[in-house]
Amino acid sequence: MLFSYNFLQSFFKEKLPTPEKLANILVMHFFEVENIEKKGKDFCIDIDVLPSRAQDCFSHIGVAREISAITGLKCDFPETKNKDGKEDVSEFVAVEVNGGCRRYVLRVIKDVNIGPSPKFIQDRLTSCGIKPINNVVDITNYVMLETGQPLHAFDGEKIEGNKIIVRYAKNREKMVTLEGKRRELDESILVISDEVSSVGIAGIKGGAVPEIDENTKLIFLEGANFDPLTIRRGSRKLGLRTDASIRFEHGISVKTTKLAVERAASMIESITKGKITGEAIDVELDKEDNPVIDFILDDITNLLGVDISATQVEKILKSLSFNVERKGENFKVIPAYFRRDINIKEDIIEEIGRVYGYENISSKMPSEEIYPSKESKSLWLSKVCRKEMRALGFVESYNYSFIDENTAQIFNYKNLQEMEKPVSLEYKYLRPSLIPGLVKNIAINEKIIEDVSLFEIGKIFSGIEEKKSIAGVCSSCNFLKLKGKVNLFLQRLFVEKISYHQIKENAFLDVVAEIRSKGESIGLMGEVSAKIKRDMGIKNNVVVFEIDMGKLESLSKERELYHPISKFPTAQRDLSLLVPEKTEYKEIKNNINKVSGKLLKDIELFDVYNGKELPKNKKSIAFRLFFRADNRTLSSQEISDLQNKIIEALEKIPEWKVRK
Amino acid sequence: MKEEKIDLLKQRFLKEIEEADTPKKKREISKKYLEKELSLVFQSLKTLSSKRKSKVGKKANELKQLILENTEKEEVKENKQWTDVTLPGDKIKAGNLHPLTEIQKKCVDIFAGMGFAVAEGPELENEWYNFDALNFKEDHPAREMQDTLFIKQKNRESLSSEEKLLMRTHTSPVQIRYMLENKPPLRIIVPGRVFRNEATDSSHEINFYQIEGLMIGEDISVANFKAVMETFFRRFFKKDDIGIRLRPSFFPFTEPSFEVDMTCSSCNGKGCSLCKKTGWIEIVGAGMVHPNVLKSGGIDSNKFKGFAFGMGLDRIAMIRYKIDDIRLFYSGDVRFLSQF
Repeated sequence: MLFSYNFLQSFFKEKLPTPEKLANILVMHFFEVENIEKKGKDFCIDIDVLPSRAQDCFSHIGVAREISAITGLKCDFPETKNKDGKEDVSEFVAVEVNGGCRRYVLRVIKDVNIGPSPKFIQDRLTSCGIKPINNVVDITNYVMLETGQPLHAFDGEKIEGNKIIVRYAKNREKMVTLEGKRRELDESILVISDEVSSVGIAGIKGGAVPEIDENTKLIFLEGANFDPLTIRRGSRKLGLRTDASIRFEHGISVKTTKLAVERAASMIESITKGKITGEAIDVELDKEDNPVIDFILDDITNLLGVDISATQVEKILKSLSFNVERKGENFKVIPAYFRRDINIKEDIIEEIGRVYGYENISSKMPSEEIYPSKESKSLWLSKVCRKEMRALGFVESYNYSFIDENTAQIFNYKNLQEMEKPVSLEYKYLRPSLIPGLVKNIAINEKIIEDVSLFEIGKIFSGIEEKKSIAGVCSSCNFLKLKGKVNLFLQRLFVEKISYHQIKENAFLDVVAEIRSKGESIGLMGEVSAKIKRDMGIKNNVVVFEIDMGKLESLSKERELYHPISKFPTAQRDLSLLVPEKTEYKEIKNNINKVSGKLLKDIELFDVYNGKELPKNKKSIAFRLFFRADNRTLSSQEISDLQNKIIEALEKIPEWKVRK
Repeated sequence: MKEEKIDLLKQRFLKEIEEADTPKKKREISKKYLEKELSLVFQSLKTLSSKRKSKVGKKANELKQLILENTEKEEVKENKQWTDVTLPGDKIKAGNLHPLTEIQKKCVDIFAGMGFAVAEGPELENEWYNFDALNFKEDHPAREMQDTLFIKQKNRESLSSEEKLLMRTHTSPVQIRYMLENKPPLRIIVPGRVFRNEATDSSHEINFYQIEGLMIGEDISVANFKAVMETFFRRFFKKDDIGIRLRPSFFPFTEPSFEVDMTCSSCNGKGCSLCKKTGWIEIVGAGMVHPNVLKSGGIDSNKFKGFAFGMGLDRIAMIRYKIDDIRLFYSGDVRFLSQF
């Protein structure tokens, strides 16, 4: 909001601090000053008045009051006492309010002379970014800048009939507003109407019909207090934010409404040589009461953490025009009528704090007991997963929580959760998996680096159900290479009984396996299909995995007990087995484990071969067996017996043959 | 046999070795001393008393060791191939954590030292936790200060706040969730992803990260808040002269509310482009927890009070590393990600 330095100065007899100094004072005790700009002999100060204070500080008087409270400089505001005319105002106009309005004040002024407004008015309007038009319109704007109360002047002779009516518009009611635009209204929009048609959109924009022109003689001066929500919604619906609407949106004290009308009427009378006619029409539908707030000095000193005296508190509150009754350290305070944001003790404490100055409160560490914090399993797991993925050579990526229609189609996702009016269609759906984001990352990086390994930990969504997930992607890689990493990752989390199961079909993966622990599915991994790579412009082979962190949370643990290192030697024997091409390694292992007993400690695959010299549709699988006893050195006879037992078991299957 | 004789032998050996100009000669000298001179010495030991034997024997062994070491050194020199140590080492593919992960960890560690526990909450929230419980009145203008990203729902208007779903606009809903589940005193920080439905540019993103703090107790004040913030920034930027200042502000969930500025870490408060010549950087929104928020969290506001604060993790990462575009964090570009 723009403020004129000269306008602010006009309320003070003493000289105000320079604009820069004033800005610093306001920043530390009131609100942020965005900018100071020299405009002719004036300075325009842009203050970021936040919504809580918009009701009284979207006005020069409001800001001047603040300056006075903070600096101690005395300020005075013009007081207006208008003499009513002898006429009966009802001969000119009557007012009818049908909702949406808390107070409606109207003054009739006749015999005005329209012309340019005095220079000081024009200058101050210009400083605040408002274009001067004519004396009557300029005065309404000037008083709005002064008091924060928007006003409107109608040409009384252009009003049809004898009535001003505040009512909601009819559906599809049309009206041309001041700037000449034809607008269609609906039942949620409040209008000002005469007995024939609407003549203005209440609180937002005047109508073109009763516009003030050089021939205007009779003025109906309106000061109203419209319902903030109605104005806010109407303004948004019409896409029309005006100096008036932004003030009404935040609510203004109904007391200000009357004061502002009287102030403007008096200025119009003296500047345009018009005459106030009859009495003021005042439809008052809502009376405001300010609360009585009780507190003791300790409430303030404890919350602020600073010693401040009762007399100092009293002085600050009085400087803000609050009504203060104090008995020792007991306070009873009624906030000023224009401060409708002050309702509870804490609101008062804020006033004391900011006027006193937060810079005058010294830092002090809390003196309460400290307990070392607990760490949840979920946080522990994220931390460990990151550590392990990093050790495995993965670079961490953060992707958007959303995917677009195109990606959804490429990955063939169905029933995704849609967002309501996202700023861009890129954010149309909540991501159902971390994989699309990571695959996209590969597409971006491929041009620069051939082999990239990335991972992400984040939330994914199935409908509105939210899950934590971890996924990884490798380019220029193959299934088994990534499987090695995934497996090591799971082992480092001490996940037990990990197994991989072929899945026949998947929407976007070609070679694909379900990852299980203790038989329960925890995730999947596979090679990204050729079609998807083509759609995303990727050349190299890409392998991905994704694991449910919720499941890992219950399956993972820390190392519990150490395994003693065996004092006895391990013996190795190699075996080579000829099996049909589609035999799974898992099956061979299972058959060995069935007969091997405790002495077989490990099986390590070292070769899979299907060359020309082998029989058709056969492959050779070679592996090493590790034998060890925990209490003695095994004799070569024992080892041979065991090996033979294994060979026998393997050869029981008709199509399998151990190569010798 | 005397010790002095062995010393003389040693001097002679060293002199001859030094004077020898080829490896071959050096080898021969070593051989001569080991096989002839020293073996004579060892033989003569037999004639000595046991006390003398151990003394002289020790000396003789030391000399033997010296000759052997010398021989080995010469062999290494002779056989060793030349290695160009200026060649680059093997290329190692190492992993990296995201800069926001690293920054988050730094923050968490500092606050953990002051007794704060880490709490988490859902990213998909309902309006009650995101707004109502945090004292955003229905139709409060502040609700419009946030560009909320809502979940598409049928007949949204007819749903209650608990049923209306959105992507959380701040991490503050976790305050309420935590208060409802834990008894004061409380000290938590909440790092997490938040969402705003606004067009992206170099300083705005549709999703970004916040870190939220909450301290509730019977005797917590603005002075305490200042101390905690000051300590945090001094540790984070590793500068003990960083100061903070509080300015009045407005948030529905705190009263009083502040903006916290810290001394510009780039110019140390002298004024630069980063701080727009003010010497201060606005970095935290904060305040004393509003009694209505304590009530929403089931805490007696007459007995307990406290402070809450929130700051953008992306923003402090940007200040810390002088990153000028927030979108880099979500770009997946390895050239960026692997720098941290």
